[in-house]
Amino acid sequence: MINFGFIVQSVPALIKAIPVTLLMAFAAAAAGWLLGLGIALIRKNKVPVISQICAVFVSFMRGVPMIILLYISYYALPVVVYNYGMSIGREIDLNAIPAVLYAVLALMLDQAAYSSEIFRSALSAVDEGQMEACYSVGMTKSQALIRIVLPQAMAIAVPNLSGLFLGLVKGTSLAYYVGVYEITATANLLAMPALNFIEAYVMTTIIYEIISFIFNKLFRGCENRLKRFRAGASAA
Amino acid sequence: MGHTYDFASIPGYIPKIMQAFPLTIEILLLSLLFGLALAALVTIGSLGRNKVLNAVSKGYISFMRGIPTLVLIFLLYLGLPQIMQGIGVDMSGISKTAYIIACLSLSSSANFAEMMRASYLAVDKGQREAAYSVGMKGFTAFRRIIFPQAFGIAIPALGNNIIMLFKETSLAFTVGVIDILGKARAMSAASYGTNRLEVYIATGLIFWAICFILEKLSKSFEKAYTKGRKKATS
Repeated sequence: MINFGFIVQSVPALIKAIPVTLLMAFAAAAAGWLLGLGIALIRKNKVPVISQICAVFVSFMRGVPMIILLYISYYALPVVVYNYGMSIGREIDLNAIPAVLYAVLALMLDQAAYSSEIFRSALSAVDEGQMEACYSVGMTKSQALIRIVLPQAMAIAVPNLSGLFLGLVKGTSLAYYVGVYEITATANLLAMPALNFIEAYVMTTIIYEIISFIFNKLFRGCENRLKRFRAGASAA
Repeated sequence: MGHTYDFASIPGYIPKIMQAFPLTIEILLLSLLFGLALAALVTIGSLGRNKVLNAVSKGYISFMRGIPTLVLIFLLYLGLPQIMQGIGVDMSGISKTAYIIACLSLSSSANFAEMMRASYLAVDKGQREAAYSVGMKGFTAFRRIIFPQAFGIAIPALGNNIIMLFKETSLAFTVGVIDILGKARAMSAASYGTNRLEVYIATGLIFWAICFILEKLSKSFEKAYTKGRKKATS
């Protein structure tokens, strides 16, 4: 009933697909969280016009399923790139753009929206007095933000970011539908010829569980290390 | 690639896509119902004194939080019938919608269970003691004192989880169910993909609008429910 030969044969191919999944997750998280922090700071400081645009962006991203964002990115981006290429007088070969870029773009914008909400609540959880204390010792606003407020906000944000990242790893499985050969798509491809679905998906499940487990532990460790920034924070 | 997009046509697609709305709502409501029921069982297991049940509940939650919903769908929809056939059970009579409801119930139940557990533990211990002191028994104390307070605490998370579940119903198309996104894909295929971007944007707008309404409902429900109640969190 269970085809062990198939399992032995397909394990290397599945393992080769793990870096694709992780690369998408890291790229989307790195770029998305930076953008999210920017959005959080803009909305926190109520920068006129931009902060309203950000609010609409966040609401849209949180209301639209990942799979639809992927489709929109996949079908809209090539046109944008092509038209840009024409405007600077170059014809861009769209087939040269790897599908993984479309997936990373959609995942990144999604991460930006969700992480901005996490950063926003973390920033407001840092006691106002911290900022005042910085000013009183002569720091500028950006110094105060980078040296004092952000480390404390990060310590508060990490548990939520951990959940967000694990959701992101799971979300990368949808990149299958825009033609990225990550873990899920590879499993599907391997299973198809002889219909070895159960073997393929049980292996896939185990791989995702291991990835989740490892990142869960890593974020826990990170949380513990950042605890030293939490003393005196969030008195509110 | 001289393709131009006709964004003015987007609103025109919305009524057609919305024909599939009843099915999406059916999937949402049934998954919500089964997901909450399953979560209640898991929560009872995780809060009880039985060590084995505690471990099983914890393991279940962390397993469900680790597996992508898409993989769960493939595992159940493509893998399970193979296993069942091996032991002589024919699963071909089960509808695709039923598979999707089963998968979404399972995947959402972990989030619901976490929410229930956290809300239950957030109610001050003194509340239970006070209920006991006036002679209430275990379940009566839970039903009349603990649950109404825990429910109030859970409303924001419940709203968020329902919105997430609603967004996940979009995965129904992966097994060929014609829900909102399934309908959109069919419309895009019918035009050989010439209107695909417009159709997907229309679908995105529908999801956005419904999520927006759900969020507003959750907020006003929270306000109405907690009005006049004193917060008794520990």
